[in-house]
Amino acid sequence: MKLTEMRAELDAKNISAAELAQEYIKKIHDTDGKVNSYITVCADEAAAAAEHAQSLIDSGNSKPMTGIPVSIKDNICTKGIKTTCASHMLDDFVPVYNATVIEKLNSEGAVILGKTNMDEFAMGGSSQTSYFGGVKNPYDTSRVSGGSSGGAAASVSAGLCAAALGSDTGGSVRQPSAFCGVTGLKPTYGAVSRWGLIAFASSLDQIGVIANSAADTGYVLNCIYGQDKNDATSSARAQGNYTAKVGSDIKGLRIGLPKEFFGEGISDEVKTAVMNAAEYYKKLGCELVECSLPSLEYAVSAYYLISSAEAASNLSRFDGIKYGFRSGLGEDYNSLISSSRREGFGDEVKRRIMLGNYALCSGYYDAYYKNATMIRTQLRSEYAGIFEKCDVILTPTAPTAAYKIGEQENDPVKMYLADICTVTVNIAGLPGISTTCGYDKNNMPIGMSLVGRAFDEQTIIAVCDRFEQDFERKEARIR
Amino acid sequence: MRYQPVIGLEIHCELLTDSKVFCSCRNEFGGGENTRVCPRCSGMPGTLPILNQNAVRLAAKAGFATDCTVNAYSSFDRKNYFYPDLPKAYQITQFEHPICTDGHITVCGDKKIRINRIHIEEDAGKLVHDDYEGISMADYNRCGVPLIEIVTEPDFRSAEEVQDFVEQIALRLKYAGVCDARMEQGSLRVDVNISIMPYGSDIFGTRAEIKNLNSLKAIGRAIEYEIQRQAEILDNGGTVVQETRRFNDNHGDTKALRSKEEAHDYRYFPEPDIPPVLLSDDDLEDIRKSMPELPHVRMARYTGEYGLPHDDAQLIISSKAFSDFYDEAVKLNPDYKQISNIMLVEVNRHLNDSGKTIEEVLFSPSDIAELARMISDGKVSNNAGKDVLKIMFEHGGKPMAIAEQNGLIMSSDTSGLEAAIDEVIAANADSVESYKNGNDKIFGFLMGQVMRTIGKGGNPALAKDILQKKIGKE
Repeated sequence: MKLTEMRAELDAKNISAAELAQEYIKKIHDTDGKVNSYITVCADEAAAAAEHAQSLIDSGNSKPMTGIPVSIKDNICTKGIKTTCASHMLDDFVPVYNATVIEKLNSEGAVILGKTNMDEFAMGGSSQTSYFGGVKNPYDTSRVSGGSSGGAAASVSAGLCAAALGSDTGGSVRQPSAFCGVTGLKPTYGAVSRWGLIAFASSLDQIGVIANSAADTGYVLNCIYGQDKNDATSSARAQGNYTAKVGSDIKGLRIGLPKEFFGEGISDEVKTAVMNAAEYYKKLGCELVECSLPSLEYAVSAYYLISSAEAASNLSRFDGIKYGFRSGLGEDYNSLISSSRREGFGDEVKRRIMLGNYALCSGYYDAYYKNATMIRTQLRSEYAGIFEKCDVILTPTAPTAAYKIGEQENDPVKMYLADICTVTVNIAGLPGISTTCGYDKNNMPIGMSLVGRAFDEQTIIAVCDRFEQDFERKEARIR
Repeated sequence: MRYQPVIGLEIHCELLTDSKVFCSCRNEFGGGENTRVCPRCSGMPGTLPILNQNAVRLAAKAGFATDCTVNAYSSFDRKNYFYPDLPKAYQITQFEHPICTDGHITVCGDKKIRINRIHIEEDAGKLVHDDYEGISMADYNRCGVPLIEIVTEPDFRSAEEVQDFVEQIALRLKYAGVCDARMEQGSLRVDVNISIMPYGSDIFGTRAEIKNLNSLKAIGRAIEYEIQRQAEILDNGGTVVQETRRFNDNHGDTKALRSKEEAHDYRYFPEPDIPPVLLSDDDLEDIRKSMPELPHVRMARYTGEYGLPHDDAQLIISSKAFSDFYDEAVKLNPDYKQISNIMLVEVNRHLNDSGKTIEEVLFSPSDIAELARMISDGKVSNNAGKDVLKIMFEHGGKPMAIAEQNGLIMSSDTSGLEAAIDEVIAANADSVESYKNGNDKIFGFLMGQVMRTIGKGGNPALAKDILQKKIGKE
């Protein structure tokens, strides 16, 4: 059901907010054992929120998100509700404040069903590094959900919420959406406040929306976007009205196909599916423009240097002194801090912290961090060049469809390289949306991404929606 | 001493903002532990810094007060290190692009000390150690208190130059309302980098950094001690180690805290949560316009245009409020010396006796201007003027009214005076006789008798003339 339809059903009182919430909570209890998309289910809070939502509806004061049941990635702070980042370090952490996006959802009377599973501190593309166990793909539970917002994508895919908030640092909304056969929108950097999003890499992180359709992602973004006095990097340029162009004619639209995204390392099935989508657009009267992003070959390196450097600093506050996990060991503060961090963090997190600190050390800074920021500048200008000739860019979301659990775990470099299709969008701060454009031989969804100009979410949502109108999605096996 | 000391300073100053630099907690001194903390300044996950624009303004003022270039573009960086008093495990500071650069202050008459930079940063919290319980506790009240750090070039060659610099900079910052510069409370903290080299050499020695200097006296003692210590090492054929040392005020010595090898690699990188600080020409002009006249400029005005003695001028400018009061008074009555005398001697005496400050007195600069004019016009005597001021200080009121009510106006009525003097002459015939026989000293006694008879409103000069005439000595 589309969110606009759900809105109509609620306002027509064909279903009550409480019934809707209960239905979802029951479904989570019944089926989430197979997917593990939730870390915390908030049955009581959801019931209270639904009651409040109903009073808004009954008094004729409903807003777009009133009574809509959503899931929240567990790195977004919810006051009074555990927010773990899927880490032992924060497994008992209860924030004292709400993220801005939570305040916005609450103010419209949305119903938060629970907190979704993820890669530990959002570091990963499989959601297998969670302290609470990995997330399974609702299309095939022997396969990964993708990540890091794997729980968010799986919760939508399995029908365990109407929409989900995730976060995207290098593809963490778009890639799991592709793997789980749903639609994921990463807004422009600065479009959504990061206040209350537990930082992974501050210059790349952005809260995004995962839902059943492009129009639905825009519908939710309408509620959560906007400049925020609590986040100095949030922007007044975010304009809202994100579904305004849905249904409009896209004839004459110029779609860029950067050739580097269709080269080596991208599976043939993925290439074919994305090219088929391109042909579809061409038939609608769009112009396909071959273009180039020459610095793509450096993008993964630059991304891992910048994101790990920022992460090393951002995660330093988890020292066992103030909140979260504290090791019982430690004779002085140094040993207390190091043993708390040794025991509290998982391997992937430690790997990134070490990589990041290495890149920032005096003597290595210029060679690593500084070079990476120069590549960032270069990528931005290359994107700017492309957008002089194109209105949107079409690429694969990931080199493959969802792989088997355990398949890539022991090869971090291979896993990092799989981020090639998504990281440049974060590096350049652009909006991107992923939707299903086909299925591979295992019937696993294949994702394509549309990338737009900064703060032009309206266009990519509309272009993505146009494709979805004529594309027949297969439902997940668990739904 | 065969060695030339080479000294540079790092001065941390707490900015006089209402709230902290990245959150809305109040910026105050003292109070119960952790009573001024919020999710932001205690480093809760998911929180972000919001830069206090007034901190930027005050830092820019510090730049204007020290002849720095205030930069149109500056930005923040993170300085990473673990310590329990630093809840984010990084300090937000300005490393690559500080807000102010290339300033200077002239010390000891004509010695120019260059200022390398002034940057904005946040203070850390405090650890409270309970040795009895064997535990340490963190107090985050000071976390996020806005600081500027002023970094000089190694241009100092003596403790006197350092002390003069610190004194001047403290005063300028107070004038500009940047910092209250209370060293004993730690709102202005000085770290001294010091090395020595043989006289005539231009190759700097290895430096030590001395921390924990909370008075001008401590700065002087620490420098003298450190020169001695390093000289002894060199004299004995040793080498000075680059290290951080802590000054112990009780012992007057310095002790090693940590060596260069133990120093942190702070892994600086640009703070991604705070956009760069951009100051337009209009912003800069607006801030510059809000600058008060600085103490060294005032000093030149007082000693030059006003002709005040150096020490008097120095005393007046040592408090901005006092100096402002003086300026207001001389604007109404440009009798610079008379007003300086009244303020430095009489007003200051009452302030010292009462423990009050110039802001708390019950009279205004115009009252002082009027009092000075009454004295110079001969309306009241010098002594009567003191009495008038005493009443102004204790009860307030206008000087003329006070003088009139208390009979302190000098009389020019000679008939009354003559009668009074005749009376004194009649009653002291022996003394008059003695004076006439050449005992000059007794004239003072007779004048005293006259003044007692005519009271404080009497005009001593007039009385003296008449008495002299009457007892026949020209």
